[in-house]
Amino acid sequence: MNRSRLLLVSVLLATLLWSGVGQAKPRLVVYTYDSFVSWGPAKQIEDGFEQMYDVDVVFVAPASSGEMLARLISEMETGGTEADVFVGLSDTYLSRVHSRNVFRPIDAAKVPNLKAIPENLLFDAKGHVVPFDHGYITLVYDTRAIKAEDLPKTFEDLTDPRFKNKIIAIDPRTSSVGHALLMWTIKHYGEDGFVDYWRRLAPNLLTIAGGWSAAYKMFTNGDAPIVVSYATDTAYAVMEGLGPIYGVLPLHDAGYLQIEGVGIVRTSKNVDLAHAFVDYLLSPEVQELIPTTNWMYPANPQAKLPEEWVRYAQPPKNSVRIDPEELDRKEATWLRQWAMAVSM
Amino acid sequence: MPPNRTHRRPWLVVLPLGFLALFFYLPLLGLLKESLFTAGDSSPLVTTLKDPYFWHLLRLTVKQASLSALASAVIGLPLGYILANHRLPMPRLWRALTVVPFVLPAIVVALGFILFFGHNGYFNRALMALFGVRLPLLYSFQGIILAHAFYNAPIVARTTAVAWEALDPALEQGARALGASPWTTFRKVTWPMIWPATASGALLAFIFSFFSFPLVLTLGGARYATLEVEVYTQVRVLLDNTTGAAFALFETLASLSLTYLYLRVETRNRSQYGSYARKRQHRPLFGRSWAGNILLVIYLLFLALLYGGPIGAVVYDSLVGENGKLSLEAYAFVLKWDHAAQIGHSPLGAVVNTLRFAFSSMLLAVFLGTALAVSLPRLSRRGAQLWETLAMAPLAVSSVAFGYAMLRAYRLGVLRYLSLGPTGAIIAAHVVLGLPFALRVLRPHFQSFDYRLVQAARSLGASPRDVFFRVTLPLSSAALLVAAAFSFSISVSEMSATIMLAQPGFSTMPLTIYHLVSAREFSAAAAMAVLLMWVMTLVFAIMEAAGQYLISLRIGGDHHVSEL
Repeated sequence: MNRSRLLLVSVLLATLLWSGVGQAKPRLVVYTYDSFVSWGPAKQIEDGFEQMYDVDVVFVAPASSGEMLARLISEMETGGTEADVFVGLSDTYLSRVHSRNVFRPIDAAKVPNLKAIPENLLFDAKGHVVPFDHGYITLVYDTRAIKAEDLPKTFEDLTDPRFKNKIIAIDPRTSSVGHALLMWTIKHYGEDGFVDYWRRLAPNLLTIAGGWSAAYKMFTNGDAPIVVSYATDTAYAVMEGLGPIYGVLPLHDAGYLQIEGVGIVRTSKNVDLAHAFVDYLLSPEVQELIPTTNWMYPANPQAKLPEEWVRYAQPPKNSVRIDPEELDRKEATWLRQWAMAVSM
Repeated sequence: MPPNRTHRRPWLVVLPLGFLALFFYLPLLGLLKESLFTAGDSSPLVTTLKDPYFWHLLRLTVKQASLSALASAVIGLPLGYILANHRLPMPRLWRALTVVPFVLPAIVVALGFILFFGHNGYFNRALMALFGVRLPLLYSFQGIILAHAFYNAPIVARTTAVAWEALDPALEQGARALGASPWTTFRKVTWPMIWPATASGALLAFIFSFFSFPLVLTLGGARYATLEVEVYTQVRVLLDNTTGAAFALFETLASLSLTYLYLRVETRNRSQYGSYARKRQHRPLFGRSWAGNILLVIYLLFLALLYGGPIGAVVYDSLVGENGKLSLEAYAFVLKWDHAAQIGHSPLGAVVNTLRFAFSSMLLAVFLGTALAVSLPRLSRRGAQLWETLAMAPLAVSSVAFGYAMLRAYRLGVLRYLSLGPTGAIIAAHVVLGLPFALRVLRPHFQSFDYRLVQAARSLGASPRDVFFRVTLPLSSAALLVAAAFSFSISVSEMSATIMLAQPGFSTMPLTIYHLVSAREFSAAAAMAVLLMWVMTLVFAIMEAAGQYLISLRIGGDHHVSEL
């Protein structure tokens, strides 16, 4: 009996000590998509911000943007979340964010760097989400695996049997990159045509990955020579010293414009700290990290760009975007039609 | 002997059944309610029945499960024959093979398949080097079916072997003596007698493939998603609870009817096994026929490739980093307490969580299972049958659907007043899922328990407490240990219900492997998988030892372990 009581007491003591550890500094919990951590500037931002404010920044990024947003929403609707800030909210998710009331309006007075952001990037009229970078989604190919004369130039070319199992697509329900490509095909083929297009494209898809990060690793691993990705990939390959091994498919000479934003979670108790974090994210110091870590165009034009980046990261001639209001009304139907079209 | 009325303690039944009512039947009722009444215009149930997408997914799921069952039967049948008729070298290895579905968590199999059969996996690299071709196995329908065959062929092999062993060898010997060729003997004598067992194994394979979650989620993507995966997508990704609930309800109906069918088939088969007069002679593995030996070698090589390949690849990748050098880096990552952003949690924390969940749910499942198993023999026959069926039902319900029902109940339903939190909800779910397994071991044990010993001890003046601790418990220790091992391993490998319930900060080992596989950080995933396999092997080694002990005591059948 004595021994077990001793055990009990020591367990209790250990638990008490345990819960006391690491509670000293305020914590800022940042939800973001996986590649913002594995590729992007998360580490530098964490270190830089922790130094400036003596806080503990915790990035949580086990999934793609769509899944992380779904997780945040379901946490908020059923008991609360630890998250203070969400980084990497694509403009395509804006309607979902507003209808579920996820973020609080950002106080522009507390984010001085916001003034520098160009008007055309401010995609949220309500001011809950502010942009921190943007890019063009397109299809990227491995220049060593596909010859120049074989390059597909249109969406139609991609359905050619010679590309059987050669394309890695991304699920639009879980990833904003996959979402962008779906929207582009809807824009191109219209509401009545895109289902049929995806049905014809399906045999050429090696797989439909859950997120960009997984898809891109499969691509660089040589699983398939074409992947849904960003128009800046050539710059990435060149600047990382790999040579121009990745090229951008000149699909209709266009790319789908994606703007990524940051928002402060409505239930956050660290509102001032969160604003400071958003301001830091938009500062030229961090914005200059964006091109060579996240491989996107910075939102703040004050950020200086590397020379090689300017040369290789050419934006496509035309940029495509879908009307946000139409998206808002029809997204659920479209996603379902897509799922049915690609399902075997 | 039938225990007399003085031993009636019906209050013991109340505990396990109350637990199940609260944490299993109540959540399922909530699911039923949500899918019947929520939507504004029409019931989600009706909407779903009119939804072409639902019917498409149902067709696809049935097709996938049928082909998986067929592949499992084709691969498992020869193994069943070998196990029943041949003397085998390394019997422990063969035994290990037959418990594959219980020792290897599905997410580990998925990882092994990616590493071994992937486009750039070891198998295709070898093919490329040898013949200059690749076999596009992974990320295809065939890949999913092969993975399910990997998982379920041992089940078919075992059910077949049990029936074959029980067959009177004199029948086959008679046919041979009368001049029938071995093939004719098999076709006309053996097969008609064993096929019901093979069929019941294949039906089990069908059920498991129908509800397979981690494998289809990881290897399938949107193109091959089944109903089970779609329930997850609707609820966790699209946040469409109404559709998710309706899909989950139809799945539950499907699983209950399938399991009912299986139990019918199995009961019929069981009654057919005669007690054989002569013991079956076990021949050496290799016979005199050259053709037979060559076929056998090909089959054994195939098995070695199918099972050794993926498992070997996991172990190898955990030790070799991306640069191809031997290192323990992956293990260092997995055993770190620091928060790792890519899994949203501390890796070591996930290990601790898994063990914590497993120990708690094991203790509860064994306690509740014992309470039920001790009480059931004291009830009327029909009552006992009813309660037992109610307690076994969690086996027959899709884990993702149950996970969703539980999520709903503990956050929004009646269970929210218990303030369980995700930890409590996950543990309760694991107990519910582990209880049937514990009960399947404990029920026969307490049914055949010699209560005269208890009566003797009582009449010699021991208090009920003393009798329990000094007589009943020691005599039951082996059965309890086996039950504990089963519920422990269920909890350790559970991912389907857990992924529905898990919150940030409540990752487990299988979930961590899933996140690492999604991020394609294979070395770290492999290291975690090796740890997981190690835990499972340890548990099953203990169980095996306990099983031997059980047999040596002759108080329980030796079939309990092998038949589960």
